[in-house]
Amino acid sequence: MATPRRSRRPRTTLLLLVLAAVTIITLDARGTFHPVTSGARSVAGDAFRPVQEGVNAIVEPIGSFLAGSVHYGAVREQNQKLQAEIARMRLQQAAGTDQAEALAQLSSLLHLPFLGNLQTVPAEITDFGTSNFAATADIGVGRSDGVLVGMPVVASGGLVGQIVAAGHHTAVVRMVTDGQSVVGTRFGPPPGSLAVVNGEGWGKPLSAGLIPALTPLAVGDVFATSGLQGAAYPAGIPVAQVTATRNGAASNQESVTLSPMVDLAHLRYVAVLLWGPGS
Amino acid sequence: MTGQTVGRAMLVTFLFVLVQETLMLRLRIGGVHPDVMVLLPILAGIVAGPARGATVGFGAGLVADLFLPTPYGLSALVGCLLGFGVGMAVVAVDRSAWWLAPLAALVGSAVYEVAFAALGALLGQQQMLHVAIVRIVVVVAGVNAILAAPALRLVDWGLPEASTEGLPSATAATVR
Repeated sequence: MATPRRSRRPRTTLLLLVLAAVTIITLDARGTFHPVTSGARSVAGDAFRPVQEGVNAIVEPIGSFLAGSVHYGAVREQNQKLQAEIARMRLQQAAGTDQAEALAQLSSLLHLPFLGNLQTVPAEITDFGTSNFAATADIGVGRSDGVLVGMPVVASGGLVGQIVAAGHHTAVVRMVTDGQSVVGTRFGPPPGSLAVVNGEGWGKPLSAGLIPALTPLAVGDVFATSGLQGAAYPAGIPVAQVTATRNGAASNQESVTLSPMVDLAHLRYVAVLLWGPGS
Repeated sequence: MTGQTVGRAMLVTFLFVLVQETLMLRLRIGGVHPDVMVLLPILAGIVAGPARGATVGFGAGLVADLFLPTPYGLSALVGCLLGFGVGMAVVAVDRSAWWLAPLAALVGSAVYEVAFAALGALLGQQQMLHVAIVRIVVVVAGVNAILAAPALRLVDWGLPEASTEGLPSATAATVR
């Protein structure tokens, strides 16, 4: 009995598509195609924003309902805590509303001690990352506000990250916690020792590299941007503080764990520094 | 594929993007948001067979990549492999079985997320391995399994022509 033969067309189609995808990835990674892809991303982001905002206005109540259903247990527990807190706050006659928190974050942006005379553009965070595989945030300002790729982003406390894509009215910030984030820093008494602070992924602590073994470090020590010539950030912006160190006697480098100076999980407003390495 | 079919497929892709970029990005479970764009190649593979499953996966991936910070083309690469794989895997199965779409969505989404992270790391994006991959797999696969049945009706409308792609020639003759 003859064995039934399968059509070759699906396999040829797959082969062509895989080759096309690999070619696009390679060209994009090598920079040849990058202006095209980043341009397309920027156009797509700008074109989709009004649609997104319109649909969000309609479906937000549904989304909130679904989110509430999914987090029912946590919401209930949180609700009990909040009720207790409200009672205490009423007794103390203190106001603690969502608007007050937002206002506090916004006002703090006006008085960031580490900024000096640097110009900033305040921005609201519109989304916390479109991918589960990267620690990014979308903000509601873009090229029309003077925001360009590479500009540093700060908030109350210190460094948030860097602009990695800028559309006309939107931009994407790569957080310091992202696995691709590397920040040149200084720590210790002036002039300070140099180190690099690496992101390890969303929600994970940061790590520091290039610190010689047995370097004296204490929990709470702050690492700030180095501001070396050609650095991606101006000098003196607090980045992270030490949460743990491991004796590097067996190795030639100290193992240091840090937490970002900014509470990234509860961030609502940031400031983009209108600054570039040549400024 | 006729012009009308292409138009329908584009409209379905647009609806998936719309749902992803509005509802799904706001629905975070354990810090992870669902990814309905993964459903497209899976359901296209079931409805239209391996070649069109791969084509839809490629196209939907290129569109999804416009909104992602990961390397451009990565979703297209994984999407076309997944569409083809699902199309081939369901060749011997009754495509009208009610359990097929949720099961394929569950398994396919899990495979997609792992392959996405692994291929991303292979392409130099080591940080893509520094994520809570188990949580991502559970959330994405779970939500997609729940949404698979209604989404199948939409994809079925978008890709209406019956397909015999991938079927052994003897079986294909009986379908025709």
